[in-house]
Amino acid sequence: MDDNKDNANPTILTASELPTRQIKKKKTLASDADAKFADAVSRRPLFLSDPFCDVSWSDGTESEDDFVEEPIDEQEIYDLISNITDPEHPISLGQLAVVNLPDVEITPPPSTPCDPNALRRVLVKVTPTITHCSLATVLGLGVRVRLEQALPPNYRVDVVIKEGSHSQDDQVNKQLADKERVAAALENDTLKGVLDKMLETCI
Amino acid sequence: MASADTEATGAGANSAVKLTALTPFKPELYDRAWQSIPHPTLPLIATAHEKSTTVFSLSTLTSHSTLSGGHTRSVRSVAWKPNLSPHKLCLVSGSFDSTAGLWRWEDEKKSTGDDLEVEITAASAGNDDSSDKDCAAEKDWEFALVLEGHDSEIKSVSFSPSGAYLATCSRDKSVWIWEDVGVNEDDDEWETVAVLNEHDGDVKAVAWCPDFSGSDSRSGGPRGRYSSDVLASASYDDTVRIWREDGDGEWVCVAVLEGHTGTVWGLQWEPKPEGTRFPRLLTWSADQTLRLWTLQEEDDDGEEENAPAPHAWGGLGGIPNTMRRSLKEDWECTATLPKAHTRDVYSAAWSADSARIASTGSDGVIAVYGEEPAAANSETSQDEAAVELDGDVQMGNSGKAKSAPPLYDMENSGHGPFEINHVTWCKRYDMGCAPERRGVEEMLVTTGDDGVVRPWQVS
Repeated sequence: MDDNKDNANPTILTASELPTRQIKKKKTLASDADAKFADAVSRRPLFLSDPFCDVSWSDGTESEDDFVEEPIDEQEIYDLISNITDPEHPISLGQLAVVNLPDVEITPPPSTPCDPNALRRVLVKVTPTITHCSLATVLGLGVRVRLEQALPPNYRVDVVIKEGSHSQDDQVNKQLADKERVAAALENDTLKGVLDKMLETCI
Repeated sequence: MASADTEATGAGANSAVKLTALTPFKPELYDRAWQSIPHPTLPLIATAHEKSTTVFSLSTLTSHSTLSGGHTRSVRSVAWKPNLSPHKLCLVSGSFDSTAGLWRWEDEKKSTGDDLEVEITAASAGNDDSSDKDCAAEKDWEFALVLEGHDSEIKSVSFSPSGAYLATCSRDKSVWIWEDVGVNEDDDEWETVAVLNEHDGDVKAVAWCPDFSGSDSRSGGPRGRYSSDVLASASYDDTVRIWREDGDGEWVCVAVLEGHTGTVWGLQWEPKPEGTRFPRLLTWSADQTLRLWTLQEEDDDGEEENAPAPHAWGGLGGIPNTMRRSLKEDWECTATLPKAHTRDVYSAAWSADSARIASTGSDGVIAVYGEEPAAANSETSQDEAAVELDGDVQMGNSGKAKSAPPLYDMENSGHGPFEINHVTWCKRYDMGCAPERRGVEEMLVTTGDDGVVRPWQVS
């Protein structure tokens, strides 16, 4: 992969130019164990009255009341994925403009309150750096995996290639939408190695 | 929430079908589980999850045994070998490691009676069913055979009704048919009899047509055009294909069913067709729809010379052998089920007893549809059920067999916020069911990304 890069000289944005709320928001993000712990001691344990308290939540990445009070918005989704490292360059997907804030869409919108079991769809359109980039699938997979790991289970993540940016969008989109293929890909050691490396830089 | 619904709308005797969540099987599996397949006759259900399979007892709703250590990647699909004596179990597991494993479980103390039989008797007699359980759990599954051949993940495995054939399918775009050539049941020798390569994408599921009342006359006799076994496969290429064995022992594709606009996730044959009509096929897809397909049978009147009995295969009298491959069956999509899903439909199940269909998928919705049998079913009112539907739904106007079955009930968030990967019908044997109804009353079992395997009372 290293000796034959598809895109040796991509346009790079400066990290400081990228839209972010990371600095002030990161304490509320799912992966922050301290924040989770603090929540647990300071708040009423809402799960006791939850009608689904007998349902096992994958690995309890966050407590439900986080979302009631502070809904996840597009910026937060963007912050979750913009730090993913490109598999070919030591640069983030945000800097490469592979992921862009306007290409993140949440339905129903974060401002609409909804019950924790109701689905929210997150649609992310990724723009591979060049049209025939053979790594488009891997890029998309990285974004999907990152969001599925970080978001609560009622979020459905759809990752598609932005129209016109890639010569085989339909094929790539279909692959990225296929749960069974994604699951199998994560059991493929080589691919898993690449993905782990991409996601290493995520907070 | 299910109970609230029942209270609110379940008042009338004629009301539509209602789903009520029952306590999940124990222990919960805590990680994605793909599917749960009930044993054809015994009160057992096998759940594929991670690299193993857990068998639950339908009597105790707890784990009966676990099949682990045979696969290096996730087990995606399982199938019970049919027609075995009650003290033997045989299960095939299809895995992402590209192999299928054949497992056997045998009761060694045959002389003193069969645990499994005891289990059934105890359950149906309403006795306490805790006493016989422990010895069953002590026994172990033997990993008897590995079926190797596929190049990539196996997605589905299925036994033919007699158990003589096993079909497997894979991301490698192929369907393999294996034949049990062992001299007796314990002799595990399987041969590959066909590798079917016509799909243009992953083959997601395979299903054998069940035996049905018309199947003898339809097979065209012992030297008829095709043998009576019929296999269907669903694919990532958005199509379904139907396969039969011709007179030369070649498995050929006799029909390509085109219509879905996304991956076809699965399919099931009609379990109990009316009269001698050929079973219809139910398919479900990433396009969020479920469709019913019907074989366009020709009139029986012998326009073909020497046509063997009424048959459905296009009449081959006088047509040379070499042209047979080009002869196709004519299958048409005759109904699309009312829209209930907003994302991929991952699974559906068609009950042999009630002819009801249940479906589920990525949206976590469990939907139940009913088709009025030809003889009117007095306890359900189709019109009332149809009231729940939106105006754009195709619904049966007069309960005719060809119309789409109306939607009876929908349960949102069947597994909380999680995706549901599988739904199946099976019989109740648990203590919560009246003793005289055990082994008779139907329930649904759903399997989800949360690792929960949940039974549902259907009333």
